[in-house]
Amino acid sequence: MGDKQSTISDIVKNYYNNYGLRAKELKGEGKQFIGYVCSLVPLEIITASGCIPFRVRGSVYEPITRGDTLLETIVCPYYRSVFDLSVKGKYDFLSGMVIPHGCDSMVRSFSAWSYGLPFSYFHFVNIPSVCDESSFEFFDSELGAFKKSLEKFTGKAITEEHLRQAIRVHNENRDKVRALYELRKTDPPLISGTELTMTLTAGSSLPIEESNDLFDQVLTGVKGRKNSLPQKGPRIFIDGACLDNIELIKLVEELGGNVVADTICNGARDHLPKTDVGGDSIEALSRRYLGKVNCPKTYRANKAGTFEGDIANRFGDIGTYAREFKADGAILYVYKYCDPFGFEVPARKAYYHSLNLPLLHLEDIYSAGTMGQLRTRVQAFLEMIG
Amino acid sequence: MSFVLGIDIGSAQSKGVILGDQGSLGSFECASGGDFKLTAEKIREELLSQAERSVDDISRTVATGYGSKLVIFADEIKSDIVCLAKGVSSLLPSVRTAIDIGDLYTKVLRTDGHGNVHSFILSGKCAGGSGRILQVIARVLQVKVDEIGELSLKSKKRVEFNTGCAVFAETEAISRLSQEVAKEDLLAGLHRALAAQINSLAERLGVEQDVAMVGGGARDIGLIRAVKEIRGHDILVPPHPHMIAALGAALIARESLTIQD
Repeated sequence: MGDKQSTISDIVKNYYNNYGLRAKELKGEGKQFIGYVCSLVPLEIITASGCIPFRVRGSVYEPITRGDTLLETIVCPYYRSVFDLSVKGKYDFLSGMVIPHGCDSMVRSFSAWSYGLPFSYFHFVNIPSVCDESSFEFFDSELGAFKKSLEKFTGKAITEEHLRQAIRVHNENRDKVRALYELRKTDPPLISGTELTMTLTAGSSLPIEESNDLFDQVLTGVKGRKNSLPQKGPRIFIDGACLDNIELIKLVEELGGNVVADTICNGARDHLPKTDVGGDSIEALSRRYLGKVNCPKTYRANKAGTFEGDIANRFGDIGTYAREFKADGAILYVYKYCDPFGFEVPARKAYYHSLNLPLLHLEDIYSAGTMGQLRTRVQAFLEMIG
Repeated sequence: MSFVLGIDIGSAQSKGVILGDQGSLGSFECASGGDFKLTAEKIREELLSQAERSVDDISRTVATGYGSKLVIFADEIKSDIVCLAKGVSSLLPSVRTAIDIGDLYTKVLRTDGHGNVHSFILSGKCAGGSGRILQVIARVLQVKVDEIGELSLKSKKRVEFNTGCAVFAETEAISRLSQEVAKEDLLAGLHRALAAQINSLAERLGVEQDVAMVGGGARDIGLIRAVKEIRGHDILVPPHPHMIAALGAALIARESLTIQD
């Protein structure tokens, strides 16, 4: 491992641990960062407006305190943690906040965000709950409204050319993420799940061009390694919502497994689907965010007519990834009170059964304190499939 | 002649088994206490003395359980799920589903009869539905925990016990006692509440017969009867059900010796 490799790994760790570091620097230079949660906010529109999208994170190490005085505990602990850090001022360098209809908690808490935080711009993106032709028509005009709200905020028009340029640079970012994922296909993988998730998380705090540079450097660094860091072990697929803290992935890898693929929001769900180019940009974004981002919050009608056919349609991406990355087992990791995933657990279990892929279902509360309890389960699971 | 140890450091009780070529040469159980390292040492000493052997005679030690990391002399650490499957399959090869009633968790696992695990599930993060509730109730009723089973079988009157929570169970038990509910009726009610939780966990995993119950809680014949009643089929219980994980650990230790040879 050369000096260059350790340098880039230190840069990633630094951005991961001091999340928002670069945003604070650039704010000093007059840049405006717009915070967002979830995989469903069309980041290209923010980029096209001249602002910089910034994914706000929670912390599994920080007890939720002030947030719980403004949000009830029926909200999932991940989202409560994100809110708690925000009201404690961690993200005060942001100029605005965009929240999509990613789950019931996001809709219902939007007013709490807009009253509780000092930003000058707030916007709620109404994502349709179903995925029909009429939903796309609605979503097209909803994205038009989002665009207008940003134009009003910045005082500058967003042209079709701005949007095309933003789509291009965000698609480049997704190509790079795809290239990072390709490094996981060997056995053992060339990049650990911990490193990869840290890299993607660091990237989501940077301007998209800097994120592209960072991913390029990580790609070069990993390819230049003399010895592959991970050792052989059971190849694990992680299915779940947003794992913006690496603790679970790290735990799997400490216990001898390798996390090789996922559906997580700050992983494959968010970073792999690309936006189509060539047509109308708003329509293309609407197709990507509603049609291609496979989130359990969207109801997709049962076109197969059978339960087996329906789960194969809804969760087909899991099977594709599991085969592509040769997963030996899967962990379905669900936060307590996560309604979109919670409702799907039995159907997802049935789908894993149909794939003949061993599954460990974990319910967690977004706290580093539960890692000991998870350790028992993960260790037994790895021994079971190993 | 080779000797192996299996040591299971549980959250409440710690267990150990020593195996020779011909089978078990001794077993030992004690409270885990506050110093797991010391407890592990004590178990080893006791097992060696039962088998009349010295530390140097032991070819391999496998540790399992909540405190397994603190068995510093162990050659390998294995999860208790894997050890339980190995242990139960060696004694009851027809078993396909094993229910382990531990102090902290209840665990249900599916096995193929050769000690391989197909799937498993653990009870929630609190001690609800685990063996801890039996200890709590024993203290409230001022009876010994190993007397609970026999006593509950004497129940004449059906009492509904509503909670499976180890904390609220104490409150509920005290309020029932103040209503002059008999101890045996209260215990039988608690066993039914616990059995319902255990059954629900097992159903979530899926049950294939034969079914065995193991772990410290499986020494409670009242609980076994309640689980049998709710499931409507027989439940097998191996001798010394609390020793199964330690036995499994020892068997794994012996297997890896054979592989190394």
